[in-house]
Amino acid sequence: MVRRVLTLPSGRVAVGVLLAVGLLALVGPLLAPQDPLATTTDALARPSVQHWLGTDSLGRDVLSRLLDGSRVSVVGSLEVVVIALVVGVVPGILSVQLGRVFEWASLRIVDTLIALPFLLFAVAVTALLGNGITQAMVVTGVLVSPLFFRVSRAATLAVARSAYVEAAVISGASVTWVARRHLWSKVLPPIAVAFAQTLGVGFVIVSSLTFLGIGVQPPAPTWGGLLATSLGFLDQQPWAPIAPAALIVATVWASNLLADAIRDVTGEAGRDLLDRRTRRSATAPSLSRTGGTP
Amino acid sequence: MPALPRSRPPRRTLLAAALTATLATTTLAGCGFGDASAAGGGAGTSTLKWATSYFPKHWDPVVAGSGAQFRQLSLVYASLTRIDEKGEAVPDLAEKWTYNATGDEVTFHLRKGLTFSDGTPVDSTAIKAAIERAQKQENSALFGDLTSIRSVAANGLDVVVSLTQVDYQIPQLLGERVLQVASPKAAADPATLDQNPVGAGPFTITQLIPGTKAVLKKNPNYWDAANIHIDDVELTSAPDPTTVVSGLRTGVYNFADIAPAQADAAKKAGLDVFVQPGFNASNISLNVNKKPFDDPRVVDAVRHAVNRQEFVDKLTFGFGEVTDQPFPSGYVAYDPKSKDRYPYDPARAKALLAQAGYAPGAIKLDLVVPDGGPDAEIVQSQLGAVGITTTIKVDKNWATPFFAKDLTLSLYSTTGRDSALQTLTAHFGPNGPLNLSSPYEPAGFAKAVAAVRATPIDDPTYAETLQAATRAGLESRALVFTFEQPNILAKDKAISALPANPGHINWTGVTIGGK
Repeated sequence: MVRRVLTLPSGRVAVGVLLAVGLLALVGPLLAPQDPLATTTDALARPSVQHWLGTDSLGRDVLSRLLDGSRVSVVGSLEVVVIALVVGVVPGILSVQLGRVFEWASLRIVDTLIALPFLLFAVAVTALLGNGITQAMVVTGVLVSPLFFRVSRAATLAVARSAYVEAAVISGASVTWVARRHLWSKVLPPIAVAFAQTLGVGFVIVSSLTFLGIGVQPPAPTWGGLLATSLGFLDQQPWAPIAPAALIVATVWASNLLADAIRDVTGEAGRDLLDRRTRRSATAPSLSRTGGTP
Repeated sequence: MPALPRSRPPRRTLLAAALTATLATTTLAGCGFGDASAAGGGAGTSTLKWATSYFPKHWDPVVAGSGAQFRQLSLVYASLTRIDEKGEAVPDLAEKWTYNATGDEVTFHLRKGLTFSDGTPVDSTAIKAAIERAQKQENSALFGDLTSIRSVAANGLDVVVSLTQVDYQIPQLLGERVLQVASPKAAADPATLDQNPVGAGPFTITQLIPGTKAVLKKNPNYWDAANIHIDDVELTSAPDPTTVVSGLRTGVYNFADIAPAQADAAKKAGLDVFVQPGFNASNISLNVNKKPFDDPRVVDAVRHAVNRQEFVDKLTFGFGEVTDQPFPSGYVAYDPKSKDRYPYDPARAKALLAQAGYAPGAIKLDLVVPDGGPDAEIVQSQLGAVGITTTIKVDKNWATPFFAKDLTLSLYSTTGRDSALQTLTAHFGPNGPLNLSSPYEPAGFAKAVAAVRATPIDDPTYAETLQAATRAGLESRALVFTFEQPNILAKDKAISALPANPGHINWTGVTIGGK
């Protein structure tokens, strides 16, 4: 699937941007030119050679804070997606396989989760359990999980009721064998699309929560937190929100682009598209070689 | 009967009408009529459009307490006394008061013929009910402020307040912060009163959307209605601070409290920006009953680690002031002799920690705060510079452990009290709500407080006695005062200047658009 995604220009751009963001999360804190927590007397300074993105209201280097905050911002959104994936996909598949009682119970739970406003719920839970990144991400991951539940359940339903699966079951194949042999290949693509899409959603959620001061304790920097802080000083530094906002927008955009690319290469229409491209690229060199025209 | 065909005006006529209307609007605006509209005046009425960051959660004054929201509640409620520009008690519902010879009983004489906005008479029975409700109601936030009052007797228009001790501070105490008087009829159901306030103040509520907006109109039965020149008030919960100035500029509001960072933008927008005097004081609260602050050398290290000017520069944009006392300089209770007793000296702070046996980084503490404001980050940075490592913990339920005195290190910002003595006892008294180290009390403080209580406010020795009590209180190791957060307000120029009553916002004599 990865190779097919990379055949699309949009896929290549999305993967490139996300790799860059991932790299920033890995080495960003090491690249910070100054101590991101060290306050100085040089508050709200303009961009300069010493401070490429200026300083914040406490005199801290904004570039260093941006680089240092990338790890929490990226890892936070990954945490959300992985938790949502685990909590959503497994029950989604099992709701088709384990009979009506489990199906009914899991659907009701999912309905309940969908009805909860995630931001308010996350705020309430962190108020109860303490304001930490783990608490906030676990709650958000659980609240986002219905997306994975529905996607995996829909894909599983389509496969489980197909004739070849019924034939396998009648022939005595175990549930595990059927899942491994037939389910995964059909269920995985929509889950991959949902994963990429949720990565963007997770990023927006993490940014929103840290914007509200939830999940990360000060003075730890995050992209959302930097954006929120900069908005309070627009009169002094109108340019300040641009850098954190651009990073957030680029990451979310790349995630959505990746989701589109995965959908294009895994769906029926996508496969047709790829086939057409392959045929065209196979034809184009011959035309070029001959120099002829159709 | 067939409908008559409508004659359509020719296009040229329409254009001419539009042009005329535009010209007329522009001309009228140029003549100043537009200003009156933006300021809230229209159709012969003057409207105050006030955006506030302190929109009251509770409108029952007993539940709201004596915090910053009392300023908004005082639109509806009057009190026995109020505070003048010198910070001294002056008549409000009570036209005068007299102490007995021993100073342990004070009688307030009420004005005649006053009523609450629901028609209930303002008499001594209503005042007695208000004081007793503040003392006894289960969810009262004021009972701790009224411990000097033993009993209240009602006698027509005379309210006789018997005290547990000699206390000449009572007229200042029973002002707008502690005794805003609600109608006893309405207060019979405190839950309803909380969202349907009924008082005898300058305005009455006509609409209240909880937490969002209150619409008020002038109370013609207010005792000083002749000096209230505002007809209507629209009190709105301020949205994000960054949008308040835009709201002021476009006429959505004509009065607002603004953040220091917005003051420059407000000035550039042509608004009147001013600092209302107040008693705000921020502090670092230490618990001397817990390690490491049980060692006075560690407390002294914290005292010397604090660079107050950094708070003023970075948090108030120069509008605030450094303070090492719970009062602004120049106030009667401010003690000049205590000024700068512990100057910023990080080297000395490090030496004191070393003497106490703590290597750099050996002290690790949680700094527990209600929100992740930059003041906590400055404290963390300054303590870190001398070798005290702190982790900021934002606790939305911070008030519970703070007032239960369970925390070791925290921050607090007070808006002060009208009674200077009340400010002192709240901070330094053994049961003071702002004393994180209860029941700790600095030596000599109780005696100094008793001396202040026993000194009439008009006595020539009052200021000296009060400042001695401040000095005694500042011996407390539980508090390190840092800076004074300014009350920055912005208003449309059509609104006249407000009385500079410290800590209060008083609308007496204020006009809008000259009306």
